[in-house]
Amino acid sequence: MEEAVKPDVDPKRIASVLNELDPDANRPANVIETTGLNLHFGAKTILSGVNMAFARGTTTALIGPTGSGKSTFLRTLNRMNDRVAGFRHEGDVRLDDQSIWAPSQDLLAIRRRVGMLFQRPNPFPMSIKDNVVAGVRAHGIAKGKQLDVVAEIRLREVGLWDAVKDRLHESPYRLSGGQQQLLCLARALAVGPEVLLLDEPTSALDPLSTESVEKLMRTLTPALTLIVVTHNLGQARRVSDHTMFFYEGRLIEHGPTAQVFEHSRESDTARYVNGLMG
Amino acid sequence: MTVLPMGHPSTGWRRIKSMGFRFFTWGSLLFVVGPALWLIVGVVVRAVPNWRWSVLTTLSQGTSGGLENAIIGTVVLMFGVLVIAGTIGVLTGIHLSEFAVSRRGRPNGGTMRVAVDVLSGFPSIVLGYVGYVALCVGLHWGFSLLPALLILSMMVVPYIAKSTESALRQVPTNYREGAEALGMSTGYALRKVVVKSALPGIVTGLLIAISIAGGETAPLLYTAGVTNNLPTWSLLHHPISYLTYYVWTDWNQPSTEAHIVSFDAGLILVVMILALLVVSRVIVARTQRHAEGAR
Repeated sequence: MEEAVKPDVDPKRIASVLNELDPDANRPANVIETTGLNLHFGAKTILSGVNMAFARGTTTALIGPTGSGKSTFLRTLNRMNDRVAGFRHEGDVRLDDQSIWAPSQDLLAIRRRVGMLFQRPNPFPMSIKDNVVAGVRAHGIAKGKQLDVVAEIRLREVGLWDAVKDRLHESPYRLSGGQQQLLCLARALAVGPEVLLLDEPTSALDPLSTESVEKLMRTLTPALTLIVVTHNLGQARRVSDHTMFFYEGRLIEHGPTAQVFEHSRESDTARYVNGLMG
Repeated sequence: MTVLPMGHPSTGWRRIKSMGFRFFTWGSLLFVVGPALWLIVGVVVRAVPNWRWSVLTTLSQGTSGGLENAIIGTVVLMFGVLVIAGTIGVLTGIHLSEFAVSRRGRPNGGTMRVAVDVLSGFPSIVLGYVGYVALCVGLHWGFSLLPALLILSMMVVPYIAKSTESALRQVPTNYREGAEALGMSTGYALRKVVVKSALPGIVTGLLIAISIAGGETAPLLYTAGVTNNLPTWSLLHHPISYLTYYVWTDWNQPSTEAHIVSFDAGLILVVMILALLVVSRVIVARTQRHAEGAR
């Protein structure tokens, strides 16, 4: 009988090997940082003085009443506002320690790294498979037969594969609203983003679809960083690690979700999260 | 009997209004469908009894003979207009809808829009005469294909530009935003997402344009000339025949034989336009099978 040899490995060595494998090891801990960010449309100031850091691999919820500036903030992070007439900004948004407005930045690359999911599902007028790989094709990430593989992996990832595998070449508009939103999520994930911005991703969905989207959001971290605007306070509590409360164009309070909800520092926050302000 | 509060219009009155409205919409439909049917039936009834297949394969001999040269000439003209006016018109429409927008998001490109409107308001015979003076005589091109194509294209570019522009404007913002957020460049998103969903409108514009090109006579009299020969490959100095010339000229001849040829030409034109219609619907149906409305 041979004696079982107990492997003699130093746990520190394991940690260092794992660290080497971690693709994010040498990157800044905060994937996005905003410093002194002011946003204006024409003469109107939408948001002022936002200093915030989004830690890599976390989920942050943006809450606040309509018109508080949270959606504008979200859409600034991947420069979706740049083309809106009259949009101006002061301060800076840094993605991996580089300003997103730096002249050396490629706008299309930023959009690939910072993906977005919208309030209403917006599949393109093309087949289900073509929808999933639309971004992959645009960025030339894969082609030909590889696209079929990409489509399958991403559809499995969002849990849609079994429902659509026999109708990959059919119209996406025959899917239910929830399935369409999952399809859009698969499309956004397919280009391999680091950050995903979600603008009220479930407000047009029924409770069951909402649950499947939320379940999925929990599996996406820590590989991705999620930033989600939501009017659903329950959702903010369920999915997020951090919460930012916006009110009347200012970031009133931010911190760990439990703290913001249960031990709000500001009275406005307490009123909002307790349903005393609409 | 239902008792309504004072001042409410009664159900009876609403029903009368609704019926009246429906009567007028049906009436308008008849006003459009009626003449079209009358025209088609009129041509078919006069042309079919005397139909000879040989008109398709024999050349014209003035007021008798066949129409082969005119058929091929009209096809060449339609195809040329599709290429020239189609390219310019669609690009103009894309420019007006996508790029000629002010910083405040309002439509811009005033000069270009006015130019398009002015062009569409010109009587075709004026354009034809301008083509004759400037191109056929001025540039010594003679009656030939190129001046005919240029003048026809000038005539129909406004239609194509307008229909392209309005079709593109109806593409949901959703699609554009989704494409933008995925990191597609403006041009790529336009080609792969936006233009594709605007295609029915664009194809309709193109169809109207080629139909006009096929059915136009006045500007061609001044630019294309007439010949009993088949079209040649040369763009200049060689006249080219077209069906509408025979429709009009042969009808004005005293002989029955010429009248028969006139109606044959009319029938062939009608069939060509209907065939175009079918082809364009097939193209649209094929490209729109994944569209939001198609289920």
